[in-house]
Amino acid sequence: MTRLLAVLALAAPLAFAAEEAVRLDAAPIDPRDVASLQAGARSFVNYCLNCHSAGMVRYHKLQDLGISEQQVKDNLLFTADKIGELMNVSMTRKDAKEWFGTAPPDLSVIARARGPDWLYTYMRSFYRDPESATGWNNMVFERVAMPHVLWTLSGQQVQVERRFRTREQAEAVGRQQKNAWKVDVLTPEQAGKDAERYILKTIRTDTAGSLSQVDYDVFVRDLVNFMTWMAEPNQVTRKQVGYVVLLVLLALLVLSYLLYKEFWKDVH
Amino acid sequence: MSDPSKPNRARRKLIIASACAGGAAAVGTAVPFAASMLPSERAEALGAPVEADVGPLAPGEKMTVEWRGQPVWILRRTKEMLEGIKKADGKVADPRSERKKGELTPEYARNEFRSIKPEYLVVVGICTHLGCSPQDRLKAGPEAFESDWTGGFYCPCHGSLFDLAGRVYRNKPAPDNLRVPPYTYLSDTRILIGEDKKGA
Amino acid sequence: MAAAEKQAVTGAGPFNDLLTWIDQRFPLVETWRAHLSEYYAPKNFNFWYYFGSLALFVLAIQIVTGIFLTMNYKPDAAQAFASVEYIMREVPWGWWIRYMHSTGASFFFICVYLHMFRAMLYGSYRKPRELLWIFGMLIFLCLMAEAFFGYLLPWGQMSYWGAQVIVNLFDAIPIIGPDLAIWIRGDYVVSDATLNRFFAYHVVAVPLALLALVVAHIVALHEVGSNNPDGVEIKKVKDPKTGRPLDGIPFHPYYTVKDGFGVVVFLVVFSIVVFFAPEAGGYFLEANNFIPADPLKTPPHIAPVWYFTPYYSILRATTENFMWVLAAGVVAMAGLVIWSVKNTAARICVAALAAGLLAGFFTLDAKVWGVVLMGLSVMIFFFLPWLDRSPVKSIRYKGPITKTAIALFVIAFFVLGYLGTQAVTEERTLAAQIGTAVYFLFFFLMPWYSKMDKCRPEPARVGSK
Repeated sequence: MTRLLAVLALAAPLAFAAEEAVRLDAAPIDPRDVASLQAGARSFVNYCLNCHSAGMVRYHKLQDLGISEQQVKDNLLFTADKIGELMNVSMTRKDAKEWFGTAPPDLSVIARARGPDWLYTYMRSFYRDPESATGWNNMVFERVAMPHVLWTLSGQQVQVERRFRTREQAEAVGRQQKNAWKVDVLTPEQAGKDAERYILKTIRTDTAGSLSQVDYDVFVRDLVNFMTWMAEPNQVTRKQVGYVVLLVLLALLVLSYLLYKEFWKDVH
Repeated sequence: MSDPSKPNRARRKLIIASACAGGAAAVGTAVPFAASMLPSERAEALGAPVEADVGPLAPGEKMTVEWRGQPVWILRRTKEMLEGIKKADGKVADPRSERKKGELTPEYARNEFRSIKPEYLVVVGICTHLGCSPQDRLKAGPEAFESDWTGGFYCPCHGSLFDLAGRVYRNKPAPDNLRVPPYTYLSDTRILIGEDKKGA
Repeated sequence: MAAAEKQAVTGAGPFNDLLTWIDQRFPLVETWRAHLSEYYAPKNFNFWYYFGSLALFVLAIQIVTGIFLTMNYKPDAAQAFASVEYIMREVPWGWWIRYMHSTGASFFFICVYLHMFRAMLYGSYRKPRELLWIFGMLIFLCLMAEAFFGYLLPWGQMSYWGAQVIVNLFDAIPIIGPDLAIWIRGDYVVSDATLNRFFAYHVVAVPLALLALVVAHIVALHEVGSNNPDGVEIKKVKDPKTGRPLDGIPFHPYYTVKDGFGVVVFLVVFSIVVFFAPEAGGYFLEANNFIPADPLKTPPHIAPVWYFTPYYSILRATTENFMWVLAAGVVAMAGLVIWSVKNTAARICVAALAAGLLAGFFTLDAKVWGVVLMGLSVMIFFFLPWLDRSPVKSIRYKGPITKTAIALFVIAFFVLGYLGTQAVTEERTLAAQIGTAVYFLFFFLMPWYSKMDKCRPEPARVGSK
């Protein structure tokens, strides 16, 4: 709950054009789940690495996830020749701007910029929008230029609006959703005679994809887990070294304290 | 009544213990800093072995491949070229590549032709004098620098000469034969430069 | 002392011979005695007295980690962001060096703020330590500049836009502003040119200035000796035989050993952050700074790093409406000063100054006055030695008014700091304006309340606690 609140505090400035912040779902990622990370690596390379680069990550780093060099070369080495190369893409920024309106950002550290919860909710909040250039829109990122690349897996969702009299009623229903939801509010002038000013926006599946909702959530979870790892591959080492350092410092603490007290016996 | 020597001894022990622990911690802190100056993953990746495809190389032709920032020559030697090497035995300073064996000539190149297969010469194309890149003088015949030239390489900077096995001529500024890098055959037409069979 | 007359180092052996050789050519032993083994410091230093040596320790950390970062960082707009990630991922132990530097920056400010607060508590800026305080304030200004220049270097969104906003403040200066801003940037907007010169300032210029000022600060300290929590001058009571202050103890070994302990405690806290929470909830490493700088996309919420937020709050609090409050304040202060001061010339000057300010308040933009107030909120600290007119130095012997004033100041500082991290709303602006008023009144009213307060007599000797 506190994590959600912390995320909400951060989410507010990030939801650029949205009137109100989307409630982000907590990403159920486990950085120690190697199988999940490997699945995420595969998903990332197959689905994301065409448009998005991860230009600060080298392919050989994937070996840290328990994937062998040969496995990387056979299954994951698409945009480079050598396993020591960076995960760049061939699409130039100039072309990208022309085709999409904006260059797809490099994803190397996106998990540190947006946070895993944002990414997890974002990938599960696309819905069909006939008025957008790509035909897709996103609850977390209004008018996003990215099309819903994973639609064959997730199926097609549409946005649903329900009106309520009070914010509490709207939020109560919203919290029961399995997907992203937000509550927009109309001013009395906009609502007119209608007393129900609070609009709960959610999405529901219109056409099923090849994965069930649960399986798609797992797919996204693994992808976000991988991206969180990718943003800081040294996380695990960092903590391990930390424990050793604190142990050493504890010993030094005891010694330096005894030394201090010993000398200060002289002082009255 | 307190014993004056007792607290001093305890104090001294404590000082020594603290100094040792502090010293050890300082060394432990200094090591990562020094380690950070070692080649980074990028340097390692850029220094990784390079594959060369010699399939399209015709006899008598030479190709150049970059490895660790250095030019590596692969020369497909003809029968005449191999005979020329034998003729140069008397003119070169170190015909059996005995000087600085570990550095310049790996085990598998310590033979007549300084290569794994006689047909292909693999050497680093940098003169062992002061680092210029020698020019090709692959054809045998009289040259300005040597009337009985049997083929090889001529360094324009200070006039050093190397034969078609990369061996340096006597009485020239360059002291050593051209370096043979670690390499291995991945197949008949693919050479991996930078790594030999042992995986060095 | 001529070399020939110098006392040989006591004891025999090659080490002592070496020391003697050096000592005949360099004031080694003399310096050791004057500044360490025979430099007398008050024996009653408490918790607040750790932060000076800790600040020095953090300075050393920043310099060493900074040197190693500079080995791999690229001060080029096209390469800077990636070079930082290169350090984090590919340089052996690079992540540790980077995290120590980013955490060290924040801890530097924590230590310096606590160090300054100690001076406020115990009157360590009072005569004869005014110059010591001034050197310290100059160090503080250099530190802020160092942090500002350093923050541009990762070239993230916050780096870029924070620099853009602050340099644009110079733009607001009347007449010379726009040209000045261009000169500072080296370009029409923050760009590669700006990055390169900020790198030069951050790595060479300001560290040199900092080192010189720290040396001056310590020399000035040793000239007059340290203050202490009781505000008592220990040099006043000396042992008739040895000439040493009765309430003093030699810095070495007592404070070397105590500060050694302090350093280890500091390292424990520091390491917990470095290894387990280097982002510190987004306060030490801001999330938005993991997005590469984009001159075409302004982030919706630009906030400075936490240690600048109180002053940023004061800047934002200065709205059109607030100008009326300021005007009233200026009139009230002018009245107070004129009433207190008997000199006619001074009175006329004050009145003229007040009139000038009032005119300025309503002709120049509130934005300009915001910048002025923000600058004043830091510069006003310089005047503390002359604003504090209490007969006693230490808060332990001051009266309830001063104690309340300091408490209110601390609360205002924290509230302003918190508000600086949040987006602007009407309620928050009002709170910031109240905080600003309390902040400035703490200083401006001090000449009066410090004098009227009911103090207890300062003891002659250092107390038991």
